[in-house]
Amino acid sequence: MTVLHRWHGGVLVAACASVAVLTGCAAPDAAAPVAEDRSWDDVLAEAEGQTVDLWMYGGDVQGNAYVDDVLARAAAELGVTLRRVPIADTGDAVNRVLSERQAGVTEGEVDLVWVNGDNFATGRQAGAWLCDWTSMLPNIAGTDPDDPLLTSDFGTPVDGCEAPWHKAQFSLVYDAARVPDPPTTLAGVLDWAEVNPGRFTYPAPPDFTGSAFLRQVLYSVSGGVDEVPLEHSDEAYEELSPALYDRLAELAPALWREGDTYPQSQQELDQLFADGQVDMTMTYGPATVDDLVADGTFPETTRVLTLDEGTLGNASFLAIPSTSDDQAGAMVVADLALSPEQQLAKARPEVWGQFTVLDLDRLGDDARAGFEALPDSAVVPSYEELSAGADPELSAGWVTPLDDGWRREVAAG
Amino acid sequence: MSAPLLVSRLGSRLGRGALAFWLVLPLVPLLLWAAADRWSAPALLPQAWGTTGLAEARAAGAGAAAVRSAVLGTAVAVLATPLGALAGRALTSGALRAPGLVFAVLLSPLVLPPFAVALGLDVLLLRLRVPAEVGLVLLLTVAAIPYTTVVMRAAYAAHDRHHDEEARLLGASAWRVVRSVHLPLLAPAVAGAAFLAFLVGWSDYVVTLLVGGGRLVTLPLLVGAAASATGNDAQVAVLALSAVLPPVALLVVIGSIGRRARR
Repeated sequence: MTVLHRWHGGVLVAACASVAVLTGCAAPDAAAPVAEDRSWDDVLAEAEGQTVDLWMYGGDVQGNAYVDDVLARAAAELGVTLRRVPIADTGDAVNRVLSERQAGVTEGEVDLVWVNGDNFATGRQAGAWLCDWTSMLPNIAGTDPDDPLLTSDFGTPVDGCEAPWHKAQFSLVYDAARVPDPPTTLAGVLDWAEVNPGRFTYPAPPDFTGSAFLRQVLYSVSGGVDEVPLEHSDEAYEELSPALYDRLAELAPALWREGDTYPQSQQELDQLFADGQVDMTMTYGPATVDDLVADGTFPETTRVLTLDEGTLGNASFLAIPSTSDDQAGAMVVADLALSPEQQLAKARPEVWGQFTVLDLDRLGDDARAGFEALPDSAVVPSYEELSAGADPELSAGWVTPLDDGWRREVAAG
Repeated sequence: MSAPLLVSRLGSRLGRGALAFWLVLPLVPLLLWAAADRWSAPALLPQAWGTTGLAEARAAGAGAAAVRSAVLGTAVAVLATPLGALAGRALTSGALRAPGLVFAVLLSPLVLPPFAVALGLDVLLLRLRVPAEVGLVLLLTVAAIPYTTVVMRAAYAAHDRHHDEEARLLGASAWRVVRSVHLPLLAPAVAGAAFLAFLVGWSDYVVTLLVGGGRLVTLPLLVGAAASATGNDAQVAVLALSAVLPPVALLVVIGSIGRRARR
């Protein structure tokens, strides 16, 4: 799940530059194409017989199985063939759509993308996504229209250009056998790391998870989420970032390998945790921890740590490229994926364990009872517990300055 | 047997052994992981053996992906091998004014990063409305031509044209000469060139995904997707072995063609 969010700005800029040189193309029209307003029956009728190519990060075995065995089967009943294209990085799907858009293609190969954050923002800038279509979906009624996680995707307004699919919560993960008395705040975690030298580290930003950890520490050293303006400005950065870097530089000698080196990715940190070299890891997809414990990658005593002040939360979405010619079919799949039945099936830990985007108060009694009957996990607390006091994500404008500053002030310092 | 000869033989045998060991060593953890249900450090060997990796790889569609990879590799080999043979023959015929320059142009795809080529030509191919599969095979064929050209140029440089002329003098038709004299003499080189071209299609990731538009989900796509997460080691190992072993088997077959031809 985490690789989904990698920041691909540099690659895209380079790619567009090379494209411009080779084909002498002008920048594509940035205005987002808007879906025509029509009845849902009309959409259903057009969707019948279409094949929808869903490009999604393919590293999650449970996610792949859910889409192939559950979602695709339900889509087939509606006459839509759902075909999953596994990719190592969501940026690849965005690159393909941008190429198609530059070439003016209207029967593109990508019909649906699992996306959020920077990849969504990049696509929006180039008009790569179809907009104003999610209000047509019957099942959107189950979501809260004022839910900040669903109206803004890392500071980029959603504006009906993508339909919500899952929620995620940044979480620290620890081994209760080795940390019997875990801290309950992020400041406490950093203090604990200093008392236990060599037992903690974090992935080096710009790794997505390491970057999220940086923002979480920024909230903590700034005195809480209310002290940090969500929109980035140079003044706010100058004012707030020194405390962040000072704290992390001070912490560095107590980290794994004395902070001389950092894991390059969350996967590397997970491996260190699995091998018992450190006592904590972190993830933006705590739902996967159950599975890692079940298959023995992580020890049985692995637990997700809840913090008193709350942690960063986000949602991920399904977006329809403006170049797709199976847009009706893609809408039908996005609506299906939002249905209470599919959201409940997907929330089961043995299926995928992804948190729902639905607002339980808006559901019928049966559907709500289904969600309430989900089994408790010994490893991962419920979404309600995890997301209590959830912190909003900073806008994407913060991310690169914070990551670059970390490299200058902490890694090189 | 004299002592220096013995030492040199022993040295050669040791050297060959070390080389084989060096080539096989990376496959050992792959083989172990492929059969491991659980293997966490610091254990030297997996704690639990099983077929989880195999089951996951099959669920991911490894079988169909291997067939697609083979089809793609074959298509590239079928196109790039004759083109490489024609180029190799022309380069050694003495008919070209600047063979060095032509050779450099033919090799130029080797120095271009595939990512840039894929992204750049993607837009062009899309504009020209070239179907994704055709564009994919076309681009990979261009990428394979340097390899087939190098192999066939060396083969033609060592090839004695007089055999062909002799057969013609004895009354064989042009087609008969190609079939009965020319090709059998060049068979090992053709097989080697075709093998390299096959590998270009078999192992490509970025062109298959971006230019191919995700229509052909081949083995490298599955390996890349599975390897981008934690905890998939067994599945990745099975997929990686499925990607490595068929070419190795093919190499053995080609090696036997070469031996038969030399006899």
